[in-house]
Amino acid sequence: MTESSQALPVTPRPRRSRWKLRPSTREALWGYVFIGPWLIGLILFTAGPIIASLVMSLTDFDLLHADQTRFIGLDNYIRLTTDPLVATALISTFKFALIIIPVTMLASLGFALLLNHPKLPAKGPLRTLVYMPIMIPLVASTLVWTGFLNTETGWLNKIIQSFGISGPDWINSDLWIYPALTLMGLWGIGNFMIINIAGLQSVPTELYEAARIDGAGWWTSLRRITIPLMSPVLLYDLVITLIATFQYFTQAYTLTNGKGDPNNATLFINLELFREAFVFSRMGYGAAIAWLLFAIVLLLTLALFLFARKRVYYAGGNL
Amino acid sequence: MIRSRSGPRSLLVLTGVVAILATACGSSTASTAPSVAASASAAAVASAAPSVVAITPAPIAAGPGPNGGVVVRWFIGLGSGGKPEQIAAEQKFAADFNASQKAVYLSPEIYDNTVAAQTLQIEIAAGNPPDIIGPVGVEGLNIFRDNLLDLAPLVKSQNFDMTKYDPALAKFFDMGKNGATIGLPFGAYPSFIYYNKKLFDEAGLPYPPTKVGDLYQGKPWDMDAVRALAMKLTVDKKGNDATSASFDPANVTQWGFDMQWADNRPDTEATLFGASSVLAADGKTAQITDQFRTGLKWFNAGVWTDHFIPTAAQINSDLLAKGNPFQSGNLAMDESHTWYMCCINPAAPAKASFNWGVAIAPSYNGTITAKLHDDTFSILNTTKNPNEAFTAVAKMVESPELLADYGAFPADPALQQAYFDTVQKQYPGSKIDWTVPQAMLSHIDIPNNQAWVPDYAKTKSALQALGNKYRTTSGLDIDTELATLKTTLQGIFDQYLATHP
Repeated sequence: MTESSQALPVTPRPRRSRWKLRPSTREALWGYVFIGPWLIGLILFTAGPIIASLVMSLTDFDLLHADQTRFIGLDNYIRLTTDPLVATALISTFKFALIIIPVTMLASLGFALLLNHPKLPAKGPLRTLVYMPIMIPLVASTLVWTGFLNTETGWLNKIIQSFGISGPDWINSDLWIYPALTLMGLWGIGNFMIINIAGLQSVPTELYEAARIDGAGWWTSLRRITIPLMSPVLLYDLVITLIATFQYFTQAYTLTNGKGDPNNATLFINLELFREAFVFSRMGYGAAIAWLLFAIVLLLTLALFLFARKRVYYAGGNL
Repeated sequence: MIRSRSGPRSLLVLTGVVAILATACGSSTASTAPSVAASASAAAVASAAPSVVAITPAPIAAGPGPNGGVVVRWFIGLGSGGKPEQIAAEQKFAADFNASQKAVYLSPEIYDNTVAAQTLQIEIAAGNPPDIIGPVGVEGLNIFRDNLLDLAPLVKSQNFDMTKYDPALAKFFDMGKNGATIGLPFGAYPSFIYYNKKLFDEAGLPYPPTKVGDLYQGKPWDMDAVRALAMKLTVDKKGNDATSASFDPANVTQWGFDMQWADNRPDTEATLFGASSVLAADGKTAQITDQFRTGLKWFNAGVWTDHFIPTAAQINSDLLAKGNPFQSGNLAMDESHTWYMCCINPAAPAKASFNWGVAIAPSYNGTITAKLHDDTFSILNTTKNPNEAFTAVAKMVESPELLADYGAFPADPALQQAYFDTVQKQYPGSKIDWTVPQAMLSHIDIPNNQAWVPDYAKTKSALQALGNKYRTTSGLDIDTELATLKTTLQGIFDQYLATHP
């Protein structure tokens, strides 16, 4: 055996300590440590109550007779199907959704287009003005609108009357209450307007230049370039508006002291939930309505996402 | 193995959807109601810690108290008593009571009225209820009816003197289950007519009567007289009154009559036509009495045909002070309660722009019915110290300081003069004829307009819906509406009684 053939001394591989972790594992662990407090909060204050409300919905839990609470299976859910007020509340909510969702979407997109126009001066102050009403607490703004829309002495009807037309009974008519609430809702479009402006600014300008060279006008550019490229943002707006509409509460509560007037037109499903649980003390039944609300919103949102598969353009590929 | 491409994608979509829902539900910019589950969590917490809405220090939950006595918890806020300016008097009453003896330590817990009922429900559900509640009105007692102690044995054993009260008031709180006495007379608020002297003077009309049995312009002071008078006092923009052919109902600026603070309930308004209940004597059948039907038709015609009663839109307009019509100075007559004397003046430093007087409630078919609001203190049936709690309640109902603090019209005649003097000071220009409310105490509504019915809150809600409907919609067929209401009420009663035998 020559010297050269002698085996070289092998450097012993460093033995991994039993407690020494791979960097990736260590990184993951630290990640969990950092999100730990949030996770604990999520479990205790969100997941826990959600599960509790599911259990509650299977009982006849009533705060004043808590000691007599019984497990009643699906009785609350069966009762939902025959309760005329729940049906009325759902119809009112859908009617309102059919008006406020398109108006909110169109108005927020319209304002975004207007306030993103290259030739518009003082964009910053104007955007601030449109956004500002969001800073006003909902109860206060609702009370202001109630005065503005009053049939007898409200400014809106005074303006309408100056044209020789008699204004409608905005607040007390079950026909006009939805347009009235939609008008109030326009004060809340600032968030969507900002998001839409961000979406508009992410559309490559070269596309508009190319379209212009090809002879496309403003409307064609909007239809063929802007809206398709903004479709993920518009989908987000739509989903959030839909959820917000089904959660609509404060304005309806403030306007009618939670009574759902006029003629149950503002008895939206979230208000009915509140009344059953907190006014009539039927917490179990209220929880069942909450789960019905969740199921409806989930189904509608899923439907929207299915629709989005074909209609929404993602530059990086589909979802 | 070929994996389906749609599997993970669908999962991702579903996860995204749930995440968005969770996000939206958690911190949406839209308004949201408190969740049912959140309340349940609160219920669990309530037993361990005082509620965050309490506006006084945490109560002493276990005895003995600092004076060595048994701790009795006093829950305030269901009716009056939760306003910041009222707290000092309540605390002083408790301190004086605790210093005056060593057997009982009274520990007040004061809540804002907007959260008090819910807080008490949570305390009861969590097994941490107080001993005493009050001051509380009939509606508050209705909500907690199953949780109240029958005070009759304690009245007897502690020799509490009930003879000093008007007999009707003495029995007024025998409204618990099976006629149980669930409160002692404290503050009674009879109703009568407030009238605006300025508007009567402008119209050259004499003031309405202040003595039971007096005539008005030679005719009985009844609902027909009120209608005729109210139409003369209803005026349009051009100054025509509602009896004139030129009267323009689209431009009314002054109205003749309304019943304020009737809680939007048509059955309450109809008490002017006689006391009645939507619950029949058998305790389970819904009924529409003749009084209710006649009353609602009278009010509906007053709004839409005769125009002397304002519509909902008019009540909420600036012309009628956005819901406080009599205060606005544009309502000539208002049927309301003694406690409304708190609020005829606008917020200080403003003063009422008119002087006013009080007149007796009109009669119908020869009978006067003056609906009553009433406040009391009550004891929960979960108390471990009923004798000590009753000792404290007996002192409360006799306290001039608490009566003054709550602006309560004393049920005890011996305490009434001090109340009269206090209120009169607020209205130097309007000499209040106190014989009117005193006389009305003999004509209170039995059954009371707020008397218990099955599922009180939901029944009230159904009645309010009709109340709103007739004040906002012209041309209603009242008989049809009442038939629908009866069906609705029967459904509410049946459902409640099926689960609360």
